[in-house]
Amino acid sequence: MTTTEPSLSQGRPEAPEPGRRSAPRTGSWLPTWDLITTKNLEIRKRRGLMITMLVLIVLPTVLFFGLRLLFHAIDPHIYAPAGNPGEFSGAANLTAEFGFIAAAALGAAAGTTDLSDGMFRHLVITGRSRLALYLARIPAGLAIVVPLVALAFVMNCLVTSYEGLPNPTSVNFYGVSAPDNLNQAGLQAWLLQHPQQVANGFLPGIAGGQGGKAGPGGPGPAPTPAQIRSGVDRNIAGLYSDYSSSELSESNPAINEMAKIGLWLELEVGIGFLVGLGFGALTGQRTTTTIVLIALEIIVTPLLARTQLPDFIDGQRLIIGIAMDQLRPAALAPPAGAGPGGGILLGGRGALGIPAMPTWAMISVIVGWIVGWSGIGAWRMMTRDA
Amino acid sequence: MNTNGLMAAVVTGPHGQHVGGGIILVALVVLAALCYGGVRLTHRVRQSRRRPEPSSPTPSNTAPEPPAQRRQPSSRPPEPPHPNGWAVETHALTKRFGATVAVDDVELLVPRGSAFGYLGPNGAGKTTLIRTLLGLTKANAGTMSLLGTPVPAQRSRALARVGAIVDEPRFHHHLTGRDNLRLLAAARGGDADQRIDPSLARVGLTDRAGDKVATYSMGMRQRLGVAACLLADPDLLMLDEPMNGLDPAGMHEMRAMIASLAEEGRTVVLSSHLLDEVERTCDAVAIVDHGHVIRQGPIDELIRGAGAAALQVDCAEPARAAQLMDQAGIVAGTTLTESGLTVTLPAGASRELVADINRRLVRADIAVYGLHESRASLEDWFLSVTSRLGDPT
Repeated sequence: MTTTEPSLSQGRPEAPEPGRRSAPRTGSWLPTWDLITTKNLEIRKRRGLMITMLVLIVLPTVLFFGLRLLFHAIDPHIYAPAGNPGEFSGAANLTAEFGFIAAAALGAAAGTTDLSDGMFRHLVITGRSRLALYLARIPAGLAIVVPLVALAFVMNCLVTSYEGLPNPTSVNFYGVSAPDNLNQAGLQAWLLQHPQQVANGFLPGIAGGQGGKAGPGGPGPAPTPAQIRSGVDRNIAGLYSDYSSSELSESNPAINEMAKIGLWLELEVGIGFLVGLGFGALTGQRTTTTIVLIALEIIVTPLLARTQLPDFIDGQRLIIGIAMDQLRPAALAPPAGAGPGGGILLGGRGALGIPAMPTWAMISVIVGWIVGWSGIGAWRMMTRDA
Repeated sequence: MNTNGLMAAVVTGPHGQHVGGGIILVALVVLAALCYGGVRLTHRVRQSRRRPEPSSPTPSNTAPEPPAQRRQPSSRPPEPPHPNGWAVETHALTKRFGATVAVDDVELLVPRGSAFGYLGPNGAGKTTLIRTLLGLTKANAGTMSLLGTPVPAQRSRALARVGAIVDEPRFHHHLTGRDNLRLLAAARGGDADQRIDPSLARVGLTDRAGDKVATYSMGMRQRLGVAACLLADPDLLMLDEPMNGLDPAGMHEMRAMIASLAEEGRTVVLSSHLLDEVERTCDAVAIVDHGHVIRQGPIDELIRGAGAAALQVDCAEPARAAQLMDQAGIVAGTTLTESGLTVTLPAGASRELVADINRRLVRADIAVYGLHESRASLEDWFLSVTSRLGDPT
């Protein structure tokens, strides 16, 4: 195709006159709305990146439930309804896993493309604060990834709510079938009223007086009613925790639980984006950043989650995936008794062998990753030669 | 307690209450504060800071007046301030990359309203100086100001009226020309977005503004770079090798555009290694070599001062003509050659001297067939003052 370059002499009448007006203030570190929206435009117009985002975040959920809905519609006797607690948990974990990777890739792109495309120099020459240029990328990128995750999760919730099984009326844990919706006192009273099920389900863990460590029953002498009462009273907190976990995993999540999971998913992808953005701004290399963060998510985190290193336990807890896993809503954890592993993808998520860290430590790790990487990225942006 | 119990304990808290949602909310609030919270503050801060801008000197539309004296770095008395102020002023500016000194103790004064050439061979440090002036890289020593505003102390204020192309103009290839300008206008702020269409029209890209930059030719990207400069309604334009990659027609048009910008009273600093371009476009130059400014001033003045002009005299009696000139004492020297007489004019000689020589020869009854004055070009002068003259290459 032949193109003809227009003459420079065209359009002179509309040429701007040299002005003596006051110059716009561009030194503020706060990004303007225009800066955010145009940066969002710049990211949004990357067709390949947007397709990747859709494929990683929305498509898995569409396929996951679309096929199940289709199969159930074709033969409902063989294929169960698409929505059930297990599928809800699986799809949400899938969204979390792929959402983190997609968000990290988006962050890496947002943090590096101005450099790689040569626009960073133009932007710096405008006199706009470099910090403002960096901060504008955060809402611009989140405005893309957050709605996509919300879309995927809403599809999950809709299928679970309207195409699922009715909630069970009992909760199975350790082979005991207890009524649902019991509080701790109610569960304690019910267990004491059904000593035979307790003896079959929990003993000898309880009767043996193992200090609160309840477990599946096994062969041994039959416990006395006093031993059962003593064991239940002593271990009721742990038993109730396991009961609650099983109840959550067997029931369709309530609206408030869905909202909590949705927030957790958004936090997960938000962190992925911020880490990708900060790391990308630090390295200036999109591919390297994306590869490193994918490796962190699907190799390093599962490995460290599966392998407990006694001398390095606190170091393991500094991994964002492990901290976020501890924050994972209970409805997304594997069902009671599944044991370690068994999560989604390479496993480990929600089934950690690592002892829980204090809440303050968990929050510190999460906030530290957010603030730390944002700070590193902003610092590099402010000090980098353009 | 198995792992599920552990998870449940973490998420539900020690007393059975559900704290997971609260923790997530707290963390999200922190995230949201980083993302969106500042936007509202922006408007407040901008409103509270909205006060009259300090008045800046008005550039003149008259022809530029370059510095009166040739500058000798580090060993001369302070330059008297230019009547219109200096568009660019540097003192002892130095930029090093490790052991390499890219900008070496540079003293540069660019008068407002002039078309100023920053001339030097490849690798002389031209681009590095511009990058340092624009805050793209930090100086190691020295002071500088743009349009009278010190940088980097007040970099944002100084750059608000500066447009620049540094190296090859590059843009987001996946965006249209107009979208790229929108991005830059948003960074500029103010009414820069209202200048997008006029700027595109001025560089002749209106018809292609909706096309992706990936489809642009090199020349069109150069034009887009100029349009990006015009978004600032700049008082100072710094163009680094703007003719690179342009075909002859494009170079001609770019030259005309630079001239028109200078005519509007804008200061244009043109960095180039193309001597011819600088000589045609600029009225003053600084010569840089190995990071060091070795000469600066008006082009005519520099060339006149750099070397004597010669006058080829085609006449009937060269020997008598030479004797006549030597006796008159109005020329610097005479040389008889096979083709005739060559008269060396004294430094700073005017055209009147040529007429005087002709008059004297005619009065002496020496037939004069022709007079041809040959002055040193900028290229001759440039080669004489830069180290490239001695380069074996």
